[in-house]
Order: sequence, then structure tokens, then C-alpha cells
Amino acid sequence: MQTADDVRRLSDELARDPGSRVFVPLGEALRRQGQLDLALKVTVRGLERHPHFVDGHDLLARISVDRGDLERAFDEWDMVLRLSPGHLSAQKGMGFVCYQQGRFSEAEKYLAGAAEQGDVDEQLAAALVHVRDARREAAAIPRDPSRLPAGTAHDPRFLFSDVLVEAEQTALLLDRDGLVLAGAYVAWDGRDVGQEVGAELSGVTDAARRATRHLSLGEWTSIVFETEVAVVAMAPAASDGLLVLATSRTTPLGLVRRLLDRCTDRARKWMGGRI
Amino acid sequence: MSARPFASILDSLTRQRWVTAALVVSERDGIVVESNLQIGQSGDKVAALAASLYRKARLSAKAAGMGAVAFMQLEAPGGRICAVGGGDLVLVVVAEPAVNVGLVRVELLRAVSELLAIGGSEELL
Repeated sequence: MQTADDVRRLSDELARDPGSRVFVPLGEALRRQGQLDLALKVTVRGLERHPHFVDGHDLLARISVDRGDLERAFDEWDMVLRLSPGHLSAQKGMGFVCYQQGRFSEAEKYLAGAAEQGDVDEQLAAALVHVRDARREAAAIPRDPSRLPAGTAHDPRFLFSDVLVEAEQTALLLDRDGLVLAGAYVAWDGRDVGQEVGAELSGVTDAARRATRHLSLGEWTSIVFETEVAVVAMAPAASDGLLVLATSRTTPLGLVRRLLDRCTDRARKWMGGRI
Repeated sequence: MSARPFASILDSLTRQRWVTAALVVSERDGIVVESNLQIGQSGDKVAALAASLYRKARLSAKAAGMGAVAFMQLEAPGGRICAVGGGDLVLVVVAEPAVNVGLVRVELLRAVSELLAIGGSEELL
């Protein structure tokens, strides 16, 4: 775990010797602390002095992912692979970027390439399985929006799968305690983090209601928050539940709202036993 | 140090049409650091609730690996609550339904760096 002291020490070191490669651990420490603009500045400046330094380009790619700039991340990892063919982190990263962009075949190619190197950790194996599933699901999405995918009609995890139109969209229905009722919340590495997200969001409904009542604004209808890589929209559901929708940052906010309405409608029907 | 260090940020926000309140709040404990409120409004409770909402949004984004929260908006028939975070501080705006959210969003995002600077973010380099 990097601390503010580490950052200060590395900053001093870089100030003493601006030509050193210490910009990489410094940029990484800043990235981990969420100081992305500063991390970007430090890394870009370092790469101006060391344009062929693989670790610098790898770091710049990861900073770009954190900033939601997937195209730049892809370009940087592409550079890493040109400088160091078969680079494990770059292959994983490009797999992630392709997955986020819905390019599942390419994602599978990069992740499989990383796996072939024999260093298959749990996260990589899970990501590979998820990408393969996503590829199969994308091919099987029905054209009739009133139907669920074949074989999944009774599986609540797939409740929103035909409402959501792109791979990076995900939706989740939580009960009043933040427990998952339906849907899934899939993180970039393929893990379903629905329970974790639900736990953090439990109490949102109550806090939102108290805030709007205190200000006499009426019952709240939606909460939207934008992160570095995603837009998350929430709406109240039956029995003090909460509907959570996440899309990529590139999805227009108007479309996010429409998707939220469609998911809310789907959740209402499901809760009412009409699906 | 000025007695009202965030005055220019808050003034520029409350100058927006249909904005009824602007507050700088500590995310950790929900305490008002500075505010511009209309007569009759009580900032303490809304500050605590808005900070709590923002904190939940930030923690859930972290749990999902989505990075930092840039902007949050709560919508209700009678108005909106918008917020951005900078360090330990949250800048909150309360507005009527007719407000131009796009403009408020731009103003809030623009204010983040100022919030960080005044709020004591570390200048590292």
C-alpha cells in the first residue's frame, strides 16, 4: 500500500533527478490514490524522456483505463506489445478494453494469449470464462424484446438481459436491505459484484427519501452518478427496493434514462409475478 | 485565510437561475463547512443527507471498480440535488425542477479543482 509519504519521497527523488525512471512508481502511487490527472502528467512527462520504456507505457494505459479513456489505453498497450511482444499485462489489458467495447472475439484472443503464457491467475481465468459467455450470449440475444433469452426465463440473473442492448450495460434489482433480487452487476474482470455493490447502496432509498422530504421535493424518482468509467442510474423499486443500472461513460444520458425506465418496468412486472 | 474561503464558488452557483442553495460539506461527517442558503432553509440536515448519499455512491463505485465519482444528481418532482466531490469535501446544490442541469453540472465540475485547492489537497510536484 502506497502512502502519502511514499509519494512525497518519490516526488523528491524525481525532483532531484528528473531523468530517472522513478516516474513509474510515482505515477502508480498517484494512480492508486486516485490522483489521476497528476498521475497522467507525471507519466507523460516521464515518457517524453524515456519513450521506449515499457513499464511507462503500461502505466499510462492503466491510468487511461481509470480515466475512462479506453482508446488511449488500447494504443498504449499496443505500444507495449510492440516493444515487448507477449507482455502479459498488456494482453490482459487489451482483452479488457476489447471486452468493454463489445469486441468479444478480440477480447478472447488477447486473454487466451495471456493464459497461454502459463500464468493463469483466478482473475484471468474468470475473465476468460466471462468473455466466452458474453460472446455466446451476444450471439443469442433475441430480436423480440418482449422475450427473455431461451432457457433463462426463470433465472432472475437474466431478468434484464434483453432490455440492455450493449455488453457493458448491467442492471441489478436490490431489496430494501441491499440484497440482490435479480440481475447482475458485472465488473470489468467478469466478476459479479452485485452483493458488494448492493451492500454499499443499502440505505440509499432511505437517505434519498429523507433528503427529498426534508426539502419538500416529493418522492425521489432517480439518482444518477457519473464515475470515471461509467454512469450509474438508480430508481426506486417496489417494497423499498432499488433498481441499479450501470452503463459505459460513452452512453448518452438520455439513453441511460430510457434504459432505466425499461428496467424499472421489467422489474415491476417481475415483482408483480407477470413475468 | 478568509472567513468564507468557498464564497466565490458558492456565489457563482447560487447566481444560477432556479438554484436555491449551495453548500460545501464534509463527506466524512456531513457537517456544513460553508453555505449559501435561502431564508428559511436549514442546511444541516440536507448537508448530512447529501453527504451520505454521495458517500454511498462513491463506495459502491469503488466496490464495482468504476473509479472516482465525478457528479451525482438526485431527481424528484419538486427539484434536484446535485453534488460533486473533491477530497473530503462535497459541493452540494439544491435546485428547482426548471434548473438547467447541464449548466449546474458544468459549474460544479469546474469548481472541483478550486474545492481541492482551498480544501487543502496536497500539492505534490
